[in-house]
Amino acid sequence: MLNVTNISKKYGKKSILSSISLSVQKGEIIGLVGENGAGKSTLLHILATIQKPTDGVISLNDMSYDKNKKVIRKQIGFVPQDIAIWDEFTVEENMIFFEKLSWRKKSKIELKQLCLDMELDKWKEPTKTLSGGMKRKLNLAISLIHDPELLLLDEPTVGIDLKSRKEIGTYLKNQAINEKKSIVYTSHDMDEIISLCDRVICIGEDPFYKSILIDSGKEVISF
Amino acid sequence: MINILQTRLIHWKKQIFTLLFWLLLPIVTTILVTNVTSAIQDDSKVPVGIVLEENTPLAKDLVTSIKQTPFIRVYETTEEDALLKIEQHELDSAFVIKAGYDEQVRKGSRNRLITSFQSDLSFAFTPVSEMIISYVQQDTGRSKAAFTVKNLSDNAGLSKQWTWEEVVAKSKEIEAKENLLHTTFTFADSGQENDGKGITIWKPWGLWAVFSILSTLLLFDWLIKENRSSLAPRFTFIRITFKNYMVINALFYTILLFIFDLIAAGAFFLFLEEPFNLHSIGVILSYRLMLNAGAFLLALCFKNVYLFYSVSFVITLLVAITSGAILPIDGIIQSYQWLEYLNPLATFLSNKISVIWLIIFSFIIGLWHVRKEKSHA
Ligand SMILES: Nc1ncnc2c1ncn2[C@@H]1O[C@H](COP(=O)(O)OP(=O)(O)OP(=O)(O)O)[C@@H](O)[C@H]1O
Ligand SMILES: [Mg+2]
Repeated sequence: MLNVTNISKKYGKKSILSSISLSVQKGEIIGLVGENGAGKSTLLHILATIQKPTDGVISLNDMSYDKNKKVIRKQIGFVPQDIAIWDEFTVEENMIFFEKLSWRKKSKIELKQLCLDMELDKWKEPTKTLSGGMKRKLNLAISLIHDPELLLLDEPTVGIDLKSRKEIGTYLKNQAINEKKSIVYTSHDMDEIISLCDRVICIGEDPFYKSILIDSGKEVISF
Repeated sequence: MINILQTRLIHWKKQIFTLLFWLLLPIVTTILVTNVTSAIQDDSKVPVGIVLEENTPLAKDLVTSIKQTPFIRVYETTEEDALLKIEQHELDSAFVIKAGYDEQVRKGSRNRLITSFQSDLSFAFTPVSEMIISYVQQDTGRSKAAFTVKNLSDNAGLSKQWTWEEVVAKSKEIEAKENLLHTTFTFADSGQENDGKGITIWKPWGLWAVFSILSTLLLFDWLIKENRSSLAPRFTFIRITFKNYMVINALFYTILLFIFDLIAAGAFFLFLEEPFNLHSIGVILSYRLMLNAGAFLLALCFKNVYLFYSVSFVITLLVAITSGAILPIDGIIQSYQWLEYLNPLATFLSNKISVIWLIIFSFIIGLWHVRKEKSHA
């Protein structure tokens, strides 16, 4: 469904990504690991059409990223690494705000259900007073309002407790298996990566990630 | 469109008090400042009692003339009351327009037309009485002239017979024309003389215009708050482009602000007796559009709201000072006509529809809009 061929990214002379190729099938969860600054967020931004690769070709459902950006965006649910929500709004207002701007219309009940699916039950609570885990869940829920087929999640579970982490993991697994969504996500938590992902992409210089993953018997593609 | 309005309403509901504060600030401040300054001016006027013993046209005219004098507040009263109030120093002095005033003036007689009262504390008696005498002299002189003209025309046997009233009217007409040459305190903008109600340093619409600059700029901080990079990825995945989202929201702000501009016009009409008509509404609308387009562009240049706030204050001050709305800068404006032309506030205050800045701003916004969005490049 998603095909990436030989993409690279340079900032000026500095090369961040070089010749990365991968493909993601329907219902597959792909992990993306690498040390800080390896270029995980950069790669996800490129896959999310937010940034352009310096080189290479990407296509989603055989549509080229160069020409069909508008259509492609409708299929993508992007969860930014920095939480992107309205602090002064409640959970409900945040969901309604982005639903109004979304391609897909959803009723209040559907929006609430989406939050409940990932155990986010503080519907009326101001976002400011939510715990870090709840904020992460909301950050994820907003990205899913338009029912995207391809989920690109940049550290969706960073800085949250085990319980919330499990809940988000269960939710993602469900989405992949039952809803046939394709998921690419980054994390520094190797246990989580090992238990959730079908395949893992390893970027950057640090050999540590790769060795852990290979030891666990996961299929690892490294660049 | 309706959906975007709904998202804006969520924001507005959240900040309803700040929003109302800035929307009402120009209106409330203008009314307050105007009322306070005119009250202070009233207090500093000399209280003078006038007793009318007859109700003839000439006597009434005289009272009207006295009332129209700046720095004098006239109390029409009875002789007894006037004397009492002078004793209590509530009145500076009092003048009685004697019965028969009209008749005597028409005859050209100047004796015992008015009696006056004062106390040892009547500090303004001399200038006030002199002023009143000058009015009386004007009337008697005019009357004398009328008689002379009448006699002359009678004797010359002219076919056109001038009546006393006609001559007096003509004389007033000439006087009114000459009065145009005489200057009093004026604003850079108005060109109209102060009308005897007292000197108003604050012209209500000028004040409103200055405060509107400030409140509009500060209200446009939404653009900076929503333009911040942490939210940018969200706005990539919405139905419209982020630029359109911002333009449409600016439009909502323009409508909201214009509604409050109309409320201002209504309030100033009610409380400050400022007239308004279709033309002035056009002027207000053009000012509003220019202001919002400018605020939009300025806010686009900033990433930090506090820096934006400071710059907004500075801009407001600069525009206010160079426009003549606060300090009369008649002279400067006269020697640099183009300054008035370029100062948006000056155009507004001279009741002209201003389009230069609107055109310039719209052009820049147009350029900004067609330029490719960087984050989507
Ligand atoms: N706009 C930019 N200009 C220049 N260099 C950049 C820019 N954006 C990111 N970089 C650099 O690209 C590299 C990759 O950054 P990226 O955020 O993709 O790393 P990451 O793998 O997500 O790291 P982390 O685990 O800390 O999130 C970093 O070294 C960063 O400094
Ligand atoms: Mg990152």
